[in-house]
Amino acid sequence: MSDAKAVADRLVKAKRLNALLTPPKDLRKSLVTQDAAARPTGVLYGMPVAVKDNICTLEFTTSCGSRILEGYRSPYEATAVAKLKAAGALIAGKTNCDEFAMGSSTEHSAYGRVLHPLDKTRVPGGSSGGSAALVGAGAVPAALGSETGGSVRQPAAFCGVVGIKPTYGRVSRYGLVAFGSSLDQIGVFGRSVHDAARVLSVISGRDPRDATCEDRDPLRLPTVPESLQGFVIGLPREYFPPELDPAVRRACDRAIRMMKELGAAVRDVSLPHTPYAVPTYYVIAPAEASSNLARYDGVRYGPRFNGATDLRGLYRATRGQGFGAEVRRRILIGTYVLSAGYYDAYYRRAQQMRALIAQDFRNVFDRGVDLLFTPTVPTPAFKAGEKLADPIAMYMSDIFTVTANLAGLPAISLPIGRVKGLPIGGQLIGQAFLEDEMIEAAYALERVVPATDEA
Amino acid sequence: MSVSREEVLRIAQLAELDVDDQTLPTLADQMSRILDYVAQLSAVPANGTVKVFVPGPDAIRFRADEVTPSGLAFGPDEFAPDFKEGFFVVPKLGQFE
Repeated sequence: MSDAKAVADRLVKAKRLNALLTPPKDLRKSLVTQDAAARPTGVLYGMPVAVKDNICTLEFTTSCGSRILEGYRSPYEATAVAKLKAAGALIAGKTNCDEFAMGSSTEHSAYGRVLHPLDKTRVPGGSSGGSAALVGAGAVPAALGSETGGSVRQPAAFCGVVGIKPTYGRVSRYGLVAFGSSLDQIGVFGRSVHDAARVLSVISGRDPRDATCEDRDPLRLPTVPESLQGFVIGLPREYFPPELDPAVRRACDRAIRMMKELGAAVRDVSLPHTPYAVPTYYVIAPAEASSNLARYDGVRYGPRFNGATDLRGLYRATRGQGFGAEVRRRILIGTYVLSAGYYDAYYRRAQQMRALIAQDFRNVFDRGVDLLFTPTVPTPAFKAGEKLADPIAMYMSDIFTVTANLAGLPAISLPIGRVKGLPIGGQLIGQAFLEDEMIEAAYALERVVPATDEA
Repeated sequence: MSVSREEVLRIAQLAELDVDDQTLPTLADQMSRILDYVAQLSAVPANGTVKVFVPGPDAIRFRADEVTPSGLAFGPDEFAPDFKEGFFVVPKLGQFE
């Protein structure tokens, strides 16, 4: 029992970050119960794993950082959560996030913004900012997040932790509250590549409850390699633009040099449709969101807002008051691009561009490149409030991460240095369902890169 | 391209979303900027031969068509405000409290 208490104490100590939505009392009580029930033979026995608030759990409420689901208790749990529990892990509360995972700074939560663990004036990234901040602060060794356009890798880079976004179809989405169904995937945070990878291995694998989950065995973890001999690593030139932050560039150059020293062959490559990735994403993701979020109507879930005299009035009042500004904006954009007269100009065009972006990756991988290395984000963590008034500036924070979501590929971000004390992330993008190769290379890089040294 | 306030209200109606007068001007402005930004996609020549890309399995696997328990941790009577004889009881129209 003392273990559960210590886990709870560490989480409660990190309270100032506003990263955890579960009240301390509920957390303590549940951890003690879970600890008593956990299977001692499980591979994650006793490991506390915090879970993003858009992943359904039986132990805690699932609000998605939104007023519209305030206090909502799911009657079932996500497959990923059930697999964690079966492996002996403790579900260490629900983490704060941008409302319905829409955002890149965790400032769009109805329950207040999350603070960066190293600098309270800055954002931890988003949308899984609460999970990243808790791992960054050392409150938990690992956490679950979700990715639609970079919501695990971007905050992992900002908070100086490891974040993995698996291949689309590697992890079941059952119990992950839907945002952009063709993009969404549960991802993991860890203090180290190994912590993140072993949690990923546990939650991966087939699930009859999710038709988009591939019929494959769980991911097998590779061993830590001696070298990167035989690996061909591509550097896509579109990810190293002239306006890239100089410190981010220095950290990347250092990591590239180290991969060469480990024996990797490094090659310049091109993914020509990269400049269209963010506009493509901001058509497809809102379009899918406007459809997925139609279910929150004040009748089936969560609180109902009063004063309406007819049914549509009830819907409109509930949705108008229940959703925050960013979610409303995206629902409206999504409705617009799907509406008659605009569908071909926006949605169909974006679908075609998505295919071209995926083809760019296939072309590079077909020419013998195993992995791509890029910066995760163009800058270190930005100041709170800096990008709130300008949605497009906020969206550009995802410029190097959205491509992997659009193409359904696996990617990992790991810390590769710091600038003025703030972490910088480097990203490896792998081929579909070859997470093992990607993790192997990340293991090798992690061992040599001075992750906490100034770049 | 710019989105008028009337257009925002029309879209909001389609989306079943109340938009108040205070936020309308900002919303129209931000939507215009976002739509201008994504409009760069139309600069790329349309290519009718591009096949739409959808990640995930190529074919949908069907489960065996068998009745299975719902798997709910607690029954609907526990989370519904009112549940009678197997039905959710909802307020009558025009009587929202």
